[in-house]
Amino acid sequence: MTARILIIEDEALVAMEMRFVLEDLGHEVVGTAADAKSALDLVKENDVDLALVDIHLSDGPTGVDLGRELATHMGVTVLYMTANPGMVRDGVEGTLGVLSKPTDEHSMQTAVDYALRRREGRTIEYAPPGLQLFG
Amino acid sequence: MNSYRERQRLSALRAYGILDTEPEAAFDDIVKLIARVFDAPIAVVNLIDEGRQWFKAEVGLGVRETPLETSFCAHAILQQDRLVVPDARTDDRFACNPLVTGESGLRFYAGELLKSEEGLPIGTLCVLDTRARPDGATPIQMETLRVLAAQVMMQLELRRSLRMRDQSEAQFRAIADSMPQMVWSTLPDGFHDYYNARWYEFTGVPDGSTDGEGWNDMFHPDDQGRAWTRWRHSLTTGEPYEIEYRLRHRSGVYRWTLGRAMPIRNEQGEIVRWFGTCTDIDELKRMEQSKELLSQELSHRIKNIFAVISALIALSARRHPEAKEFAGSVRTRINALARAHEFVRPHTETSRPTVGTMTLHAFLSDLFKAYAMADGTDRVRLTGDDAVFDDQAATSVALLFHELATNAAKYGALSTEAGFVDLETRKAGDRFILTWREQGGPPVAGVPERTGFGSALATLSVEGQLGGRLERNWDAGGLCVVADLPATALSRRLAARNVP
Repeated sequence: MTARILIIEDEALVAMEMRFVLEDLGHEVVGTAADAKSALDLVKENDVDLALVDIHLSDGPTGVDLGRELATHMGVTVLYMTANPGMVRDGVEGTLGVLSKPTDEHSMQTAVDYALRRREGRTIEYAPPGLQLFG
Repeated sequence: MNSYRERQRLSALRAYGILDTEPEAAFDDIVKLIARVFDAPIAVVNLIDEGRQWFKAEVGLGVRETPLETSFCAHAILQQDRLVVPDARTDDRFACNPLVTGESGLRFYAGELLKSEEGLPIGTLCVLDTRARPDGATPIQMETLRVLAAQVMMQLELRRSLRMRDQSEAQFRAIADSMPQMVWSTLPDGFHDYYNARWYEFTGVPDGSTDGEGWNDMFHPDDQGRAWTRWRHSLTTGEPYEIEYRLRHRSGVYRWTLGRAMPIRNEQGEIVRWFGTCTDIDELKRMEQSKELLSQELSHRIKNIFAVISALIALSARRHPEAKEFAGSVRTRINALARAHEFVRPHTETSRPTVGTMTLHAFLSDLFKAYAMADGTDRVRLTGDDAVFDDQAATSVALLFHELATNAAKYGALSTEAGFVDLETRKAGDRFILTWREQGGPPVAGVPERTGFGSALATLSVEGQLGGRLERNWDAGGLCVVADLPATALSRRLAARNVP
């Protein structure tokens, strides 16, 4: 199952590593964005299935609102990936959950898998252990 | 009378603050009554001052003071508690007194000493007559004289204590008004009846306008409920009141204030008043907030650096497939350190990874989440005493259990479906003992021939960093590891603070 994934992350090295991991898994990374505006532009110009959203971006802690916007209005499945998961502990409307950074390839793979299955409406018995789900 | 005792006596007299005051009915009534009881023309409440005698009340004399030289009472003070002179002409002490030989023609004298609380003579209540009374005074007359003299003293004492109360109140107000804090007081039921000048200066409200329960409106609407609840709690329980809240300054802005109050109790232990203060801590609060913000920002950056390092290692290893395993193990170690950092770094309510306190158990269960079964059931079961731990201990604890868990996942109990680990943490006197017991895994053949870097790292963490002992037992049923730490090892700073 391959998907079109957007990485929203302001640390270039972290973003690049994520891209490699996702491409190894056979996904297509449509782009990486370091701030909310370029993320929105990328979503408008491309079909995006899943966005991995950091909370602190180069334009400030804009990730929370960006994730909500993508999930509720733009049809994108959203997973937060952040070093500061407490920021979204109470959940964000429309989004799935949060993965704490730094993480490893396996956790990212299972979290992405889980998110894509949810997107397809498939029932999944258990969430991957590293992923904190909302709601 | 020697001069020292005389000085003491004069200071006792002046402490009553009665000299040269206006006549008062309470004393006038007494001299009128005693004159009638003795059927004598003259009666006086006489206070012996320096060089003069001054009359608080008199009948039959028409003056308020006379010189001391001719005084009968000065003799009474020198002599005894009471003095009766039936006929002054035949008494050596008074025969030559001008009041006896002259126009006044005094003959009879009966006086009772007025004594201060300390027993110092300050004057007399006395009766005089121009007729000699060879039989002296009757017992009932002397009894009345004694009782009324005591009443005079009661009146004087009463006036002195009222004066002292006024003075101490004036002193309290002077002190309270000179304090940099706002000071207030309430009745036992919490009814505010006093604020010092600083309160009115700070709030700018009219005098008396915050009496009663009006004070709560002066605080920020968001703080009023909390302040009210806590204040009611103190009023009910008598526990000291302490709160930080925002008080409206006269400029209209709210400033952070520290409010404190203590109950004053009477001899029966009942609360008779509450005294409280409000201290402006706005500057302090602002500094604290900016410091907190800075340290959070800093620690967020640090957390991010862990993520960058982790990514850097992974990227570097991409070109070298032979380094993949090595890179993977370094990354997971760094990730464990990042988790430890997340637990002990300065947090706000929103940045906290878990709700509640950051304890050892909370941290460990977070660390072991990665090893849980698909349905979320823990495979490392935590039991025993919990403990708080600080940033110094966090790295070592994280590395120790990361190594134990990864090892168990590769070769031990966590490498099979059915295996699990019991981790018991126990406080035993001045030791803290963590026991890691693997069960249900592949059978253990005995002590392995060579130990890896992970084992060395675990030993280094416990013995080098935490100052404890690490013991490994390769039991047939599974590996058992005991880390025996000094109880203070988990939070050394806390322990250091508690040393007296």
